[in-house]
Amino acid sequence: MLSLVLWLAGMVFEFLLLVRSVQTKTVTKYIYFYAYIFCVFAVSTVLYIERSKPNFYDAWYWPTQFATLAVGFGVVLEVVRQALDAYPGAKRFAWRASCAVFAVTFCYVEWRVARRTEWTTLAATVELERDLRVVEALVLATVLAIVFYYRIELGKNVTGMILGFGVYVSVSLTTLALRSFVGPRFDMAWGLLQSASFVFGTAVWTVALWSYSPNPKPPTTGRGGRGDGGYDALVRGTRAQLESVRSNLRGVAGS
Amino acid sequence: MIGLVLYLLVGVGLLVILWVLARRERAPVEGCGRQFVEARQALRTLQLGLLPDNLIKRIFDREDFRYVMATSPGEIGELFLQERKRISLMWLRRVRCEIRNLMQFHLNYSRLHAKLSLLTEIRLALDFTLLLLACRALRMLLYMRGPYGAGAMVSVLTAAAGRVCASSEKSLAFLNPPALESIRRDSAGDGATI
Repeated sequence: MLSLVLWLAGMVFEFLLLVRSVQTKTVTKYIYFYAYIFCVFAVSTVLYIERSKPNFYDAWYWPTQFATLAVGFGVVLEVVRQALDAYPGAKRFAWRASCAVFAVTFCYVEWRVARRTEWTTLAATVELERDLRVVEALVLATVLAIVFYYRIELGKNVTGMILGFGVYVSVSLTTLALRSFVGPRFDMAWGLLQSASFVFGTAVWTVALWSYSPNPKPPTTGRGGRGDGGYDALVRGTRAQLESVRSNLRGVAGS
Repeated sequence: MIGLVLYLLVGVGLLVILWVLARRERAPVEGCGRQFVEARQALRTLQLGLLPDNLIKRIFDREDFRYVMATSPGEIGELFLQERKRISLMWLRRVRCEIRNLMQFHLNYSRLHAKLSLLTEIRLALDFTLLLLACRALRMLLYMRGPYGAGAMVSVLTAAAGRVCASSEKSLAFLNPPALESIRRDSAGDGATI
């Protein structure tokens, strides 16, 4: 009963989000994010309508779950695109760091998958979803670390996107890890926690994206500073400084 | 079991980061020029107020202590030592604060540059971190051994901070436009022309 209520609540929030996105014209601004919401809404609706058909839900749950998981990377993409667009340096940093994290984690997951001999069990599918959630969680954490490090101001829309998606990914990852460890005994709690975290996420998105609230414009130096030679000068100074600090420390260590 | 702990760490770690994001205070957006002026101020304070040789010598010179010990009773010497330790700790706190200001300036400046290099930024972050750690180590030394037991460390810290100032000076050069300097030179000295 509770799971049905959560399912319906999630669908209501998704519908509201889609309607508001058209009303406020934010659908064109956050295209990847709304593509994800539309995808989840379509999947949830079809699964809900056809749930009474024998074996339909069981047969389609995992394939659609992986499809939405893949589209979910669009939310991370949207976060990077929106949060760091006005900061070319930080954006470049974030793209490179995210790609590195993605590549390393994905290679690790692939290596684990290649070693697996059995593929049909639920346990294997749960482990695969858990590993892909790790990729999402690490990329999101990397982007957030860069946002904190460079003290980048985020607008209400993007903050809401990150909070909602982050909580869902985090709870999913934690419950999937526990499911792998505890086994089928945890299935009930796992389903409820995952659904509840998704409803929480959609509620946060509905509040945060009710109206358009872009990121604040970054303060500028008034000299146009993008791509000019200033950074090169800074780099040269930094390298010289690093060398001198090292030699100073070596001197003290030797004395 | 180790795998479970790692997955839980990633999940809980992300939740903690999100909590920090939700509680983060909004920085004032209006302060475009202010950040740079503050960084400039921090640099001036470091160069003129906190790192000049004579000030550091004054704080950490043993001669004052020897003089007090030679001319006053032991309690006065103890009191002097305590006061000197307090002053040296205050000085260190200010240096640390100003280094953090400079680091903040660098981040505010570099994030706007399209040519930003990932590797260089990581190395610079390490550099600042080492300097701040050196400050922390010096603080511990001052607590444990007093103001006269950390001479070598003070020299290292001063030299390193001086070099941070030099590199920051280059990046802050645009705050001293030549035109402004010439006007300042031509003025009567009381700033009336400007």
